[in-house]
Amino acid sequence: MISRKTTALFLLLTFCFQATFAQELPRSSESALDWLKKMADAPRRHNFSGTFVYYGDSHIETSRIVHKVDKISERERIEVLDGAPRIVFRNNDEMKCYLPESKRIYTEKRWFRKFFPDILPQPFDNVIDENYYVKETRLERVTDHLCQVLSLTPRDSLRYGHQFWIDVETGLLLKAAVVNGSEIIEQFAFALLEIDGEIHPDLLKPNLSMVQEGWKVTDLITSFLNEGELKWQVMNLPAGFRKLVEMKRNLAEKTTLVDHITLSDGLAAVSVFIEPVTKDMSASLPGFFTSRGAINIYVRILDDIKITTVGEVPLETIKLIGDSVIKKD
Amino acid sequence: MKSKVSALMDGELDQQEVLNIFEAITKNEDLQEGWETYHLIGDTLRQSSRLSMNISSSVSQKLKAEPTILSPNISNIEKKLKRKLYAFSVAASLIAMVSAWLVMQNLHEPQQIIVAEQPNHSNNLTISPVVVSSPQSIHHYPHPPIEINDYLFVHREFSPGVTMRGQVTNVNSVTEYHESYGR
Repeated sequence: MISRKTTALFLLLTFCFQATFAQELPRSSESALDWLKKMADAPRRHNFSGTFVYYGDSHIETSRIVHKVDKISERERIEVLDGAPRIVFRNNDEMKCYLPESKRIYTEKRWFRKFFPDILPQPFDNVIDENYYVKETRLERVTDHLCQVLSLTPRDSLRYGHQFWIDVETGLLLKAAVVNGSEIIEQFAFALLEIDGEIHPDLLKPNLSMVQEGWKVTDLITSFLNEGELKWQVMNLPAGFRKLVEMKRNLAEKTTLVDHITLSDGLAAVSVFIEPVTKDMSASLPGFFTSRGAINIYVRILDDIKITTVGEVPLETIKLIGDSVIKKD
Repeated sequence: MKSKVSALMDGELDQQEVLNIFEAITKNEDLQEGWETYHLIGDTLRQSSRLSMNISSSVSQKLKAEPTILSPNISNIEKKLKRKLYAFSVAASLIAMVSAWLVMQNLHEPQQIIVAEQPNHSNNLTISPVVVSSPQSIHHYPHPPIEINDYLFVHREFSPGVTMRGQVTNVNSVTEYHESYGR
Protein backbone atom coordinates (compact mmCIF):
# COMPACT_ATOMS: atom_id res chain seq x y z
CA MET A 1 0.00 0.00 0.00
CA ILE A 2 2.64 2.40 1.09
CA SER A 3 5.01 1.32 -1.62
CA ARG A 4 2.43 1.94 -4.36
CA LYS A 5 1.70 5.40 -3.03
CA THR A 6 5.38 6.11 -2.73
CA THR A 7 6.01 5.02 -6.29
CA ALA A 8 3.21 7.22 -7.56
CA LEU A 9 4.46 10.21 -5.62
CA PHE A 10 8.01 9.56 -6.73
CA LEU A 11 7.00 9.41 -10.38
CA LEU A 12 4.99 12.59 -10.05
CA LEU A 13 7.89 14.44 -8.48
CA THR A 14 10.35 13.16 -11.05
CA PHE A 15 8.08 14.31 -13.83
CA CYS A 16 7.72 17.75 -12.26
CA PHE A 17 11.47 18.24 -11.96
CA GLN A 18 12.21 17.01 -15.44
CA ALA A 19 9.55 19.29 -16.86
CA THR A 20 11.02 22.28 -15.04
CA PHE A 21 14.52 21.69 -16.30
CA ALA A 22 13.84 20.70 -19.85
CA GLN A 23 11.86 23.75 -20.87
CA GLU A 24 12.22 24.73 -24.49
CA LEU A 25 12.46 28.27 -25.75
CA PRO A 26 9.59 29.38 -27.97
CA ARG A 27 9.98 30.76 -31.49
CA SER A 28 11.02 34.40 -31.58
CA SER A 29 8.23 36.89 -32.11
CA GLU A 30 7.76 38.58 -35.49
CA SER A 31 8.30 42.02 -34.01
CA ALA A 32 11.61 41.01 -32.44
CA LEU A 33 12.81 39.60 -35.78
CA ASP A 34 11.64 42.79 -37.49
CA TRP A 35 13.96 44.73 -35.20
CA LEU A 36 16.84 42.53 -36.32
CA LYS A 37 15.91 43.09 -39.94
CA LYS A 38 15.80 46.84 -39.41
CA MET A 39 19.19 46.63 -37.71
CA ALA A 40 20.66 44.60 -40.60
CA ASP A 41 19.45 47.13 -43.17
CA ALA A 42 20.42 50.29 -41.28
CA PRO A 43 24.09 50.52 -42.39
CA ARG A 44 22.85 50.43 -46.02
CA ARG A 45 20.50 53.34 -45.37
CA HIS A 46 22.34 55.77 -43.13
CA ASN A 47 25.56 57.70 -42.97
CA PHE A 48 27.14 57.92 -39.58
CA SER A 49 30.31 58.97 -37.86
CA GLY A 50 31.46 58.69 -34.30
CA THR A 51 33.60 56.99 -31.72
CA PHE A 52 32.98 53.60 -30.23
CA VAL A 53 34.55 51.69 -27.41
CA TYR A 54 35.41 48.01 -27.20
CA TYR A 55 35.50 46.48 -23.74
CA GLY A 56 36.63 42.92 -23.03
CA ASP A 57 38.66 41.27 -20.28
CA SER A 58 39.05 44.62 -18.51
CA HIS A 59 40.65 46.05 -21.64
CA ILE A 60 39.29 49.15 -23.32
CA GLU A 61 39.97 50.19 -26.90
CA THR A 62 38.56 53.23 -28.64
CA SER A 63 37.97 53.47 -32.38
CA ARG A 64 36.75 56.20 -34.70
CA ILE A 65 34.36 55.30 -37.47
CA VAL A 66 33.13 57.12 -40.57
CA HIS A 67 30.50 55.38 -42.68
CA LYS A 68 29.12 56.71 -45.95
CA VAL A 69 26.58 55.05 -48.14
CA ASP A 70 25.04 56.01 -51.45
CA LYS A 71 23.29 54.27 -54.32
CA ILE A 72 26.41 52.60 -55.67
CA SER A 73 28.75 52.07 -52.81
CA GLU A 74 29.30 51.74 -49.13
CA ARG A 75 32.53 53.15 -47.76
CA GLU A 76 33.94 53.08 -44.31
CA ARG A 77 37.00 54.07 -42.34
CA ILE A 78 37.70 52.61 -38.91
CA GLU A 79 40.69 53.85 -37.00
CA VAL A 80 41.84 52.22 -33.78
CA LEU A 81 42.88 55.07 -31.50
CA ASP A 82 44.58 53.17 -28.67
CA GLY A 83 47.93 51.39 -28.86
CA ALA A 84 49.55 50.78 -32.22
CA PRO A 85 47.67 52.75 -34.91
CA ARG A 86 45.58 50.74 -37.30
CA ILE A 87 43.34 52.17 -39.98
CA VAL A 88 40.96 50.04 -41.97
CA PHE A 89 39.37 51.34 -45.17
CA ARG A 90 36.51 49.52 -46.70
CA ASN A 91 35.04 50.07 -50.12
CA ASN A 92 32.11 47.73 -50.56
CA ASP A 93 33.75 44.30 -50.23
CA GLU A 94 37.31 45.47 -50.49
CA MET A 95 39.35 46.00 -47.36
CA LYS A 96 42.68 47.74 -46.83
CA CYS A 97 44.34 47.85 -43.45
CA TYR A 98 47.16 50.36 -42.89
CA LEU A 99 49.67 49.84 -40.11
CA PRO A 100 51.70 53.08 -40.04
CA GLU A 101 54.24 51.87 -37.46
CA SER A 102 55.45 48.93 -39.52
CA LYS A 103 54.56 50.59 -42.86
CA ARG A 104 52.48 47.65 -43.91
CA ILE A 105 49.25 47.40 -45.82
CA TYR A 106 47.10 44.29 -45.73
CA THR A 107 44.51 43.98 -48.42
CA GLU A 108 41.54 41.75 -48.83
CA LYS A 109 39.49 41.56 -52.00
CA ARG A 110 36.34 40.04 -50.69
CA TRP A 111 35.40 41.11 -47.24
CA PHE A 112 32.77 38.93 -45.69
CA ARG A 113 33.51 39.33 -42.05
CA LYS A 114 31.01 41.34 -40.06
CA PHE A 115 31.78 43.57 -37.18
CA PHE A 116 30.43 46.32 -35.03
CA PRO A 117 28.16 48.11 -35.77
CA ASP A 118 27.37 46.09 -38.91
CA ILE A 119 27.29 42.56 -37.53
CA LEU A 120 24.33 40.83 -39.14
CA PRO A 121 24.58 38.80 -42.33
CA GLN A 122 23.40 40.43 -45.53
CA PRO A 123 20.87 39.59 -46.88
CA PHE A 124 19.27 38.96 -43.53
CA ASP A 125 17.45 35.68 -43.13
CA ASN A 126 15.77 34.15 -40.15
CA VAL A 127 18.53 31.60 -39.55
CA ILE A 128 19.25 33.44 -36.31
CA ASP A 129 15.89 32.34 -34.95
CA GLU A 130 16.97 28.70 -35.35
CA ASN A 131 19.87 29.21 -32.98
CA TYR A 132 18.78 32.08 -30.75
CA TYR A 133 15.60 33.13 -29.04
CA VAL A 134 15.21 36.82 -29.86
CA LYS A 135 13.19 38.93 -27.44
CA GLU A 136 12.45 42.62 -26.99
CA THR A 137 13.31 43.45 -23.41
CA ARG A 138 13.21 47.18 -22.71
CA LEU A 139 13.86 50.68 -23.98
CA GLU A 140 17.11 52.34 -22.97
CA ARG A 141 19.00 55.50 -23.86
CA VAL A 142 22.46 55.12 -25.42
CA THR A 143 24.55 58.14 -26.54
CA ASP A 144 21.45 60.29 -26.42
CA HIS A 145 19.43 57.97 -28.65
CA LEU A 146 16.45 55.98 -27.50
CA CYS A 147 17.21 52.31 -28.11
CA GLN A 148 15.20 49.12 -28.21
CA VAL A 149 17.09 46.45 -26.31
CA LEU A 150 16.96 42.93 -27.78
CA SER A 151 18.21 39.85 -26.00
CA LEU A 152 19.32 36.83 -28.01
CA THR A 153 19.36 33.73 -25.84
CA PRO A 154 21.12 30.73 -27.36
CA ARG A 155 18.88 27.72 -27.84
CA ASP A 156 21.70 25.38 -26.86
CA SER A 157 25.06 25.56 -25.11
CA LEU A 158 27.03 25.73 -28.34
CA ARG A 159 27.06 29.52 -28.51
CA TYR A 160 27.08 32.66 -26.45
CA GLY A 161 24.14 34.99 -25.91
CA HIS A 162 23.93 38.52 -27.24
CA GLN A 163 22.30 41.80 -26.39
CA PHE A 164 21.67 44.55 -28.92
CA TRP A 165 20.75 48.18 -28.32
CA ILE A 166 19.06 49.33 -31.53
CA ASP A 167 18.33 52.97 -32.30
CA VAL A 168 14.54 53.19 -32.46
CA GLU A 169 14.61 55.84 -35.20
CA THR A 170 17.21 54.51 -37.64
CA GLY A 171 17.74 50.89 -36.61
CA LEU A 172 21.49 51.37 -36.17
CA LEU A 173 23.20 49.19 -33.61
CA LEU A 174 24.56 51.51 -30.92
CA LYS A 175 25.66 48.99 -28.33
CA ALA A 176 26.26 45.24 -28.37
CA ALA A 177 27.23 42.76 -25.69
CA VAL A 178 28.26 39.11 -25.86
CA VAL A 179 27.11 37.24 -22.77
CA ASN A 180 27.77 33.84 -21.24
CA GLY A 181 24.79 33.26 -18.98
CA SER A 182 24.62 36.44 -16.96
CA GLU A 183 28.28 37.32 -17.42
CA ILE A 184 29.23 39.91 -20.05
CA ILE A 185 32.24 38.73 -22.07
CA GLU A 186 32.71 41.66 -24.39
CA GLN A 187 30.96 44.84 -25.37
CA PHE A 188 30.98 47.43 -28.10
CA ALA A 189 29.29 50.78 -27.55
CA PHE A 190 29.18 54.15 -29.22
CA ALA A 191 30.43 56.97 -27.05
CA LEU A 192 29.80 59.67 -29.63
CA LEU A 193 27.61 59.42 -32.70
CA GLU A 194 26.22 61.56 -35.48
CA ILE A 195 23.69 59.94 -37.76
CA ASP A 196 22.95 61.19 -41.29
CA GLY A 197 25.44 64.03 -41.06
CA GLU A 198 27.50 65.31 -43.98
CA ILE A 199 30.63 63.21 -44.55
CA HIS A 200 33.53 64.73 -46.44
CA PRO A 201 34.93 62.32 -49.06
CA ASP A 202 38.48 63.05 -47.88
CA LEU A 203 37.74 61.31 -44.61
CA LEU A 204 37.39 58.07 -46.52
CA LYS A 205 40.77 58.27 -48.22
CA PRO A 206 44.18 57.42 -46.80
CA ASN A 207 46.25 60.38 -45.60
CA LEU A 208 49.04 61.61 -47.84
CA SER A 209 51.61 60.10 -45.49
CA MET A 210 50.11 56.69 -46.10
CA VAL A 211 50.40 56.74 -49.86
CA GLN A 212 54.15 57.22 -49.90
CA GLU A 213 56.54 54.68 -51.27
CA GLY A 214 58.12 52.06 -49.13
CA TRP A 215 55.02 50.50 -47.64
CA LYS A 216 54.85 46.76 -47.93
CA VAL A 217 51.59 45.46 -49.32
CA THR A 218 50.40 41.96 -48.46
CA ASP A 219 47.37 40.51 -50.16
CA LEU A 220 45.77 38.27 -47.58
CA ILE A 221 43.66 36.34 -49.97
CA THR A 222 44.96 34.29 -52.79
CA SER A 223 42.04 32.36 -54.10
CA PHE A 224 38.53 31.45 -53.25
CA LEU A 225 37.73 27.86 -53.90
CA ASN A 226 34.64 26.11 -55.09
CA GLU A 227 32.85 23.75 -52.81
CA GLY A 228 34.93 20.61 -52.32
CA GLU A 229 38.17 21.88 -53.82
CA LEU A 230 40.04 21.65 -50.56
CA LYS A 231 41.50 18.35 -49.46
CA TRP A 232 39.66 18.72 -46.16
CA GLN A 233 36.11 18.84 -45.17
CA VAL A 234 34.20 19.58 -42.04
CA MET A 235 31.84 16.73 -41.28
CA ASN A 236 29.09 16.56 -38.70
CA LEU A 237 29.33 20.19 -37.76
CA PRO A 238 27.73 21.24 -34.50
CA ALA A 239 24.07 22.15 -34.93
CA GLY A 240 23.36 25.49 -36.53
CA PHE A 241 26.80 26.09 -38.04
CA ARG A 242 27.14 26.41 -41.79
CA LYS A 243 30.13 26.69 -44.02
CA LEU A 244 30.40 30.15 -45.56
CA VAL A 245 33.44 29.86 -47.75
CA GLU A 246 36.64 27.92 -48.44
CA MET A 247 39.82 29.64 -49.52
CA LYS A 248 43.57 29.59 -49.60
CA ARG A 249 45.18 32.23 -47.48
CA ASN A 250 48.46 33.99 -47.69
CA LEU A 251 49.23 34.48 -44.03
CA ALA A 252 51.92 36.94 -43.10
CA GLU A 253 55.38 35.39 -42.92
CA LYS A 254 54.37 31.93 -43.96
CA THR A 255 55.97 30.28 -46.95
CA THR A 256 53.11 27.92 -47.66
CA LEU A 257 49.51 28.82 -48.23
CA VAL A 258 47.08 28.08 -45.46
CA ASP A 259 43.67 26.56 -46.14
CA HIS A 260 40.93 28.54 -44.49
CA ILE A 261 37.34 27.46 -43.98
CA THR A 262 34.89 29.90 -42.43
CA LEU A 263 31.71 28.93 -40.67
CA SER A 264 28.89 30.85 -39.06
CA ASP A 265 25.64 30.31 -37.20
CA GLY A 266 24.29 33.65 -38.42
CA LEU A 267 25.99 35.60 -35.67
CA ALA A 268 29.05 33.82 -34.30
CA ALA A 269 31.91 33.23 -36.74
CA VAL A 270 34.45 30.41 -36.64
CA SER A 271 37.57 30.05 -38.79
CA VAL A 272 39.40 26.78 -39.40
CA PHE A 273 42.99 27.05 -40.62
CA ILE A 274 44.70 23.95 -42.00
CA GLU A 275 48.36 23.76 -42.91
CA PRO A 276 51.13 21.17 -43.09
CA VAL A 277 53.28 20.74 -40.01
CA THR A 278 56.75 22.08 -40.68
CA LYS A 279 59.89 21.15 -38.81
CA ASP A 280 60.54 24.62 -37.52
CA MET A 281 57.02 25.01 -36.25
CA SER A 282 57.63 25.82 -32.62
CA ALA A 283 53.99 26.04 -31.71
CA SER A 284 52.68 22.88 -33.22
CA LEU A 285 51.71 21.43 -29.88
CA PRO A 286 47.99 20.95 -29.57
CA GLY A 287 46.04 22.79 -26.93
CA PHE A 288 43.32 25.23 -26.08
CA PHE A 289 43.73 28.95 -25.79
CA THR A 290 41.56 31.89 -24.99
CA SER A 291 42.02 35.31 -26.37
CA ARG A 292 40.49 38.60 -25.45
CA GLY A 293 36.74 38.70 -25.10
CA ALA A 294 34.73 35.90 -26.59
CA ILE A 295 37.45 34.32 -28.75
CA ASN A 296 38.61 30.76 -28.14
CA ILE A 297 41.30 28.85 -30.00
CA TYR A 298 41.96 25.14 -30.44
CA VAL A 299 45.12 23.74 -32.03
CA ARG A 300 45.12 20.11 -33.11
CA ILE A 301 47.44 17.85 -35.06
CA LEU A 302 46.04 15.32 -37.52
CA ASP A 303 48.73 13.16 -39.15
CA ASP A 304 51.06 15.74 -40.63
CA ILE A 305 48.74 18.72 -40.63
CA LYS A 306 47.95 21.33 -38.07
CA ILE A 307 44.37 22.47 -37.59
CA THR A 308 43.79 25.75 -35.81
CA THR A 309 40.21 26.68 -35.00
CA VAL A 310 39.41 30.24 -33.92
CA GLY A 311 36.02 31.70 -33.10
CA GLU A 312 33.70 33.59 -30.82
CA VAL A 313 32.10 30.45 -29.42
CA PRO A 314 32.54 28.41 -26.21
CA LEU A 315 35.49 26.02 -25.93
CA GLU A 316 33.24 22.96 -26.32
CA THR A 317 32.05 24.23 -29.69
CA ILE A 318 35.56 25.12 -30.83
CA LYS A 319 36.63 21.57 -30.01
CA LEU A 320 33.66 20.03 -31.84
CA ILE A 321 34.40 22.10 -34.94
CA GLY A 322 38.14 21.50 -34.81
CA ASP A 323 37.58 17.77 -34.43
CA SER A 324 35.12 17.66 -37.31
CA VAL A 325 37.84 18.31 -39.90
CA ILE A 326 38.66 15.19 -41.88
CA LYS A 327 40.86 14.42 -44.83
CA LYS A 328 38.99 13.71 -48.01
CA ASP A 329 39.74 10.39 -49.67
CA MET B 1 42.86 51.21 31.46
CA LYS B 2 40.79 49.67 28.66
CA SER B 3 42.99 51.41 26.10
CA LYS B 4 45.93 49.58 27.70
CA VAL B 5 44.15 46.27 27.15
CA SER B 6 43.80 47.18 23.49
CA ALA B 7 47.46 48.21 23.34
CA LEU B 8 48.43 44.88 24.93
CA MET B 9 46.55 43.00 22.20
CA ASP B 10 48.35 45.01 19.53
CA GLY B 11 51.67 44.18 21.19
CA GLU B 12 52.45 47.83 21.86
CA LEU B 13 53.31 47.57 25.58
CA ASP B 14 56.71 47.01 27.17
CA GLN B 15 57.38 44.11 29.51
CA GLN B 16 56.70 45.90 32.83
CA GLU B 17 53.43 47.33 31.56
CA VAL B 18 52.40 43.92 30.27
CA LEU B 19 52.84 42.40 33.71
CA ASN B 20 50.89 45.24 35.31
CA ILE B 21 47.98 45.00 32.94
CA PHE B 22 47.82 41.22 33.27
CA GLU B 23 47.48 41.56 36.97
CA ALA B 24 44.82 44.22 36.59
CA ILE B 25 42.86 42.02 34.19
CA THR B 26 42.83 39.04 36.55
CA LYS B 27 41.46 41.24 39.33
CA ASN B 28 39.07 43.47 37.43
CA GLU B 29 36.01 41.81 35.88
CA ASP B 30 35.32 44.83 33.69
CA LEU B 31 38.73 44.59 32.09
CA GLN B 32 38.30 40.84 31.63
CA GLU B 33 35.11 41.49 29.72
CA GLY B 34 36.93 44.09 27.63
CA TRP B 35 39.72 41.60 26.90
CA GLU B 36 37.17 39.06 25.65
CA THR B 37 35.26 41.64 23.61
CA TYR B 38 38.44 42.83 21.88
CA HIS B 39 39.27 39.26 20.93
CA LEU B 40 35.79 38.73 19.59
CA ILE B 41 36.11 41.92 17.50
CA GLY B 42 39.52 40.81 16.26
CA ASP B 43 38.23 37.37 15.30
CA THR B 44 35.28 38.85 13.47
CA LEU B 45 37.46 41.27 11.54
CA ARG B 46 39.79 38.45 10.55
CA GLN B 47 36.72 36.45 9.59
CA SER B 48 37.96 33.63 11.72
CA SER B 49 35.75 30.55 11.70
CA ARG B 50 36.15 30.19 15.46
CA LEU B 51 34.98 33.15 17.45
CA SER B 52 36.35 33.32 20.97
CA MET B 53 33.03 33.72 22.66
CA ASN B 54 32.37 32.53 26.16
CA ILE B 55 28.97 30.91 26.05
CA SER B 56 29.32 28.45 28.93
CA SER B 57 27.48 30.65 31.45
CA SER B 58 24.52 31.33 29.19
CA VAL B 59 24.26 27.66 28.23
CA SER B 60 24.23 26.47 31.83
CA GLN B 61 21.64 29.15 32.60
CA LYS B 62 19.42 27.79 29.85
CA LEU B 63 19.86 24.24 31.10
CA LYS B 64 18.79 25.29 34.56
CA ALA B 65 15.68 26.97 33.21
CA GLU B 66 14.69 23.89 31.14
CA PRO B 67 11.61 22.11 32.62
CA THR B 68 11.87 18.41 33.47
CA ILE B 69 9.50 16.29 31.36
CA LEU B 70 7.83 13.36 33.03
CA SER B 71 6.19 11.17 30.36
CA PRO B 72 4.13 7.97 30.76
CA ASN B 73 4.82 4.72 28.86
CA ILE B 74 3.74 4.68 25.23
CA SER B 75 0.74 2.44 24.67
CA ASN B 76 0.63 -0.25 21.97
CA ILE B 77 -1.74 1.67 19.70
CA GLU B 78 0.48 4.69 19.76
CA LYS B 79 3.45 2.49 18.93
CA LYS B 80 1.67 1.17 15.82
CA LEU B 81 0.77 4.67 14.77
CA LYS B 82 4.33 5.72 15.27
CA ARG B 83 5.63 2.89 13.12
CA LYS B 84 3.25 3.87 10.35
CA LEU B 85 4.30 7.46 10.63
CA TYR B 86 7.90 6.36 10.56
CA ALA B 87 7.35 4.38 7.35
CA PHE B 88 5.74 7.40 5.74
CA SER B 89 8.53 9.69 6.75
CA VAL B 90 11.13 7.24 5.39
CA ALA B 91 9.27 7.17 2.08
CA ALA B 92 9.03 10.95 2.03
CA SER B 93 12.70 11.47 2.71
CA LEU B 94 13.57 8.89 0.09
CA ILE B 95 11.56 10.86 -2.45
CA ALA B 96 13.21 14.06 -1.30
CA MET B 97 16.64 12.52 -1.70
CA VAL B 98 15.95 11.16 -5.15
CA SER B 99 14.42 14.44 -6.29
CA ALA B 100 17.35 16.36 -4.89
CA TRP B 101 19.66 14.04 -6.75
CA LEU B 102 17.73 14.66 -9.94
CA VAL B 103 17.97 18.40 -9.41
CA MET B 104 21.68 18.12 -8.80
CA GLN B 105 22.05 16.02 -11.95
CA ASN B 106 20.40 18.79 -13.89
CA LEU B 107 22.27 21.61 -12.20
CA HIS B 108 25.66 20.02 -12.38
CA GLU B 109 25.76 19.30 -16.05
CA PRO B 110 26.13 22.71 -17.64
CA GLN B 111 28.97 21.32 -19.75
CA GLN B 112 26.74 18.84 -21.42
CA ILE B 113 26.02 20.00 -24.91
CA ILE B 114 22.40 20.44 -25.68
CA VAL B 115 21.81 20.48 -29.35
CA ALA B 116 19.04 22.60 -30.80
CA GLU B 117 16.70 20.99 -33.22
CA GLN B 118 17.70 21.87 -36.72
CA PRO B 119 14.80 21.67 -39.15
CA ASN B 120 17.05 22.03 -42.21
CA HIS B 121 19.81 19.82 -41.01
CA SER B 122 20.30 17.28 -43.74
CA ASN B 123 23.65 16.06 -42.56
CA ASN B 124 22.99 12.48 -41.69
CA LEU B 125 26.15 10.92 -43.01
CA THR B 126 27.67 8.42 -40.68
CA ILE B 127 31.31 9.35 -41.07
CA SER B 128 32.58 10.65 -37.79
CA PRO B 129 35.76 12.66 -37.37
CA VAL B 130 38.76 10.62 -36.31
CA VAL B 131 40.56 12.19 -33.43
CA VAL B 132 44.14 11.27 -34.03
CA SER B 133 45.59 13.36 -31.32
CA SER B 134 43.30 14.69 -28.72
CA PRO B 135 45.27 16.92 -26.42
CA GLN B 136 45.85 14.90 -23.31
CA SER B 137 47.26 17.70 -21.32
CA ILE B 138 47.36 21.42 -21.58
CA HIS B 139 50.62 22.88 -22.71
CA HIS B 140 51.85 25.87 -20.87
CA TYR B 141 53.62 28.03 -23.34
CA PRO B 142 55.91 30.45 -21.57
CA HIS B 143 54.99 32.80 -24.39
CA PRO B 144 51.93 31.92 -26.38
CA PRO B 145 52.81 31.25 -30.01
CA ILE B 146 52.98 34.49 -31.92
CA GLU B 147 51.46 32.91 -34.98
CA ILE B 148 48.14 32.57 -33.18
CA ASN B 149 47.87 36.32 -33.51
CA ASP B 150 48.06 35.96 -37.29
CA TYR B 151 45.08 33.65 -37.19
CA LEU B 152 43.24 36.07 -34.93
CA PHE B 153 43.78 38.85 -37.43
CA VAL B 154 42.68 36.88 -40.40
CA HIS B 155 39.68 35.66 -38.46
CA ARG B 156 38.59 39.07 -37.23
CA GLU B 157 39.95 40.94 -40.22
CA PHE B 158 41.64 43.65 -38.26
CA SER B 159 38.48 44.61 -36.48
CA PRO B 160 38.79 46.55 -33.23
CA GLY B 161 39.29 44.47 -30.14
CA VAL B 162 42.25 42.48 -31.46
CA THR B 163 45.68 43.73 -30.56
CA MET B 164 48.48 44.02 -33.04
CA ARG B 165 51.15 41.56 -33.97
CA GLY B 166 53.90 41.49 -31.38
CA GLN B 167 51.52 42.19 -28.53
CA VAL B 168 50.87 38.61 -27.64
CA THR B 169 49.59 39.13 -24.16
CA ASN B 170 46.03 38.61 -25.25
CA VAL B 171 46.41 34.88 -25.82
CA ASN B 172 46.36 32.60 -22.81
CA SER B 173 46.50 28.88 -22.67
CA VAL B 174 43.53 27.41 -20.93
CA THR B 175 44.18 25.32 -17.86
CA GLU B 176 40.77 24.84 -16.35
CA TYR B 177 39.24 23.51 -19.52
CA HIS B 178 40.35 19.92 -19.35
CA GLU B 179 39.21 19.45 -15.84
CA SER B 180 35.71 20.28 -16.90
CA TYR B 181 35.88 18.84 -20.37
CA GLY B 182 37.49 15.56 -19.43
CA ARG B 183 34.54 14.48 -17.35
